[in-house]
Amino acid sequence: MVTMQGLRELPLVDSGVKKTRSVCGYCGVGCAVDILSKDDHIIGIQPAMDGPANLGALCVKGQFAYDYVHHPDRLTKPLVRREDGKLHETTWEEAIQVAADGFRNVSQKYGREAIYGVASGRTPTEADYLMQKFIRAGFGTHNIDNCSRA
Amino acid sequence: MSNPLSDLEKADVYFCIGTNMTECHPVAATRMKKALARGSKLIVADPRYIKLAEMADLYLPLRVGTDVPLLLAMAHVIVRENLIDHKFVEERTTGVDEYIEHVKKFTPEWASEITGVPAKDIEKAAILYGAADKASIYYTLGITEHICGVDNVQSLSNLALLTGHLGREGCGINPMRGQNNIQGAGDAGAAPNVYPGYQAVTKPEIREKFEKLYGRELDPERGITKVTALETSGNGIHAMLIDGENTLVSDPDRVHSEHALNSLDHLVVIDIFLTETAAMADVVLPATSWGETEGTLTNTERRIQRVRAAVTPPGESKPDWEILTMLANAMSIPGFEYDSPKEIFNEMCSVAPIYAGVDWDMVDGGQYQWPIPYKGHPGTPRLHEDGFTNGKAVFKVIGFRDPAETVDETYPVWLTTGRRLQSYHTHTQTGRASGIEYLVPEEYLEVHPDNVKKWGLKDGGWAKVVSRRGEIKIKVKSTSRSPRGTVFASFSFAETPVNILTGSGYDPNTHTAEMKVTVVRVEPL
Ligand code: SF4
Repeated sequence: MVTMQGLRELPLVDSGVKKTRSVCGYCGVGCAVDILSKDDHIIGIQPAMDGPANLGALCVKGQFAYDYVHHPDRLTKPLVRREDGKLHETTWEEAIQVAADGFRNVSQKYGREAIYGVASGRTPTEADYLMQKFIRAGFGTHNIDNCSRA
Repeated sequence: MSNPLSDLEKADVYFCIGTNMTECHPVAATRMKKALARGSKLIVADPRYIKLAEMADLYLPLRVGTDVPLLLAMAHVIVRENLIDHKFVEERTTGVDEYIEHVKKFTPEWASEITGVPAKDIEKAAILYGAADKASIYYTLGITEHICGVDNVQSLSNLALLTGHLGREGCGINPMRGQNNIQGAGDAGAAPNVYPGYQAVTKPEIREKFEKLYGRELDPERGITKVTALETSGNGIHAMLIDGENTLVSDPDRVHSEHALNSLDHLVVIDIFLTETAAMADVVLPATSWGETEGTLTNTERRIQRVRAAVTPPGESKPDWEILTMLANAMSIPGFEYDSPKEIFNEMCSVAPIYAGVDWDMVDGGQYQWPIPYKGHPGTPRLHEDGFTNGKAVFKVIGFRDPAETVDETYPVWLTTGRRLQSYHTHTQTGRASGIEYLVPEEYLEVHPDNVKKWGLKDGGWAKVVSRRGEIKIKVKSTSRSPRGTVFASFSFAETPVNILTGSGYDPNTHTAEMKVTVVRVEPL
């Protein structure tokens, strides 16, 4: 674990450390941060001193909980359930095809109202916009919700 | 939030109800502490003696689920002491006479019986809040996750209207959002009742606009909520597309959710990990995570900010927007010709009037808070300054009803659930972050030391917690933060699925699950 002190003292120019301005992904305060990365790995998070919501502040979650990004359990390939009842790795082409066929079949068998979408409160807004558009433009219903009601 | 986060430094009186801000929103709490250091006053209402309560000038330890009686009695005192902002009420509200008649019935003595808060303290709180020049209300899930969630929020709104504590610096009604982009998800129209920008699906002119934009007929009536969708799985709903949400462990009544998802013909999950929910899917699509994705987020004060990719995503994972675009194209749904999140955001700005004044390039510096109704508009840090969107604000007459469950002989203990500082929601993110894991090694049940003794438990030992819906095994932590007769557990860990116990009812208006109140019995193991 790199300490905050250590991070601040890192010579950014020579060490190959890249700074990327972003926003903390944990809570609704939306603290602006600089993601510090080296060799394509996140090595630390710094509060952005000019962040409009946080003015340089950051809490323990924002500072330390980024290791999950590089966790070995991350999904790297699409999975589909096969005849043996288990999930197996597959190509994007097949996964998208199986996903699309499933929605089409259910829509034909039970009607377009039988399909439901649940959007996330963590993804960027663009994903939420497309989720609702997928349901509305795809099926003409408003069977879409997000997790704030759960 | 009606007011910007910077207003956290500007109130004379803070009324925080059902929010453990120091744990959930520490950075916000830090800003409030600055004002407290200058002499501003803090009122905290919460069943638990939370950290925030330690800083309070007045702490109201109300019984779980009794927010409405407390707020009714506060309104009673404000009326009795004539702390009404007559000018504000006259110019900007309607329905005040009926409301005043209504609250006359609810004395602090009456509320004291139900809430367990001394009548004198209810009076003090009402006078502090009502007499202040600038007073603001902050609340979190504590107040919305009850069976009467909407009643709670409307009761708060009534207090603010009565005292004119709205539309000014250091005032307002300010919900603190849990997940980082709940606001953005609502803004984008990911809800059964509204199109992007909170445009009602039931309005014909709005429907026509979107029928043109999306190139097909759209239903004139609302869709069903997620709660109803889960209830009708296998019997009405037969396929689901779930994006980045661990539905199973984060929903109350976990057994029910699991059964619901199992009854589907087809389940597709987009996520970054193989969560409990993803493990039940027919197709799992790997998404890029925070730090790997370009996009926008909207925070709790309605500020639109950019997130950026710092590192390459693992394997073949793709951004959510790209996955959804592929899926829509495979189904020949028109209007999904996107090459970048920029095009998507700009499309959303063009269909949602509250975003009309910005585009992708303009939100680069995070300076805009919606509504931004037209290009050149500076954005709106503070809502309701010049009036309400729908003309006058209406006082709502709110009665009181008991929570869906109350303690009895078999289940004599209140269980409340919530989240803790170090762990985030259902553990899929912080649970895998090694920097955090050592801070909360496992889940535990917080029990008052007197109850630990009385029930034959041991600090650090195991206990069995039984509710009407199931039972779990959990470690006991003896702490006087929990009041006697109430135990607390967070819902962060799949290994101790506290949600098996909860889920007794839903708010009939919003279908928000009642996560905070369940009755249980606790036995040693
Ligand atoms: S740093 Fe803390 S307060 Fe700020 S957004 Fe992240 S989790 Fe929220």
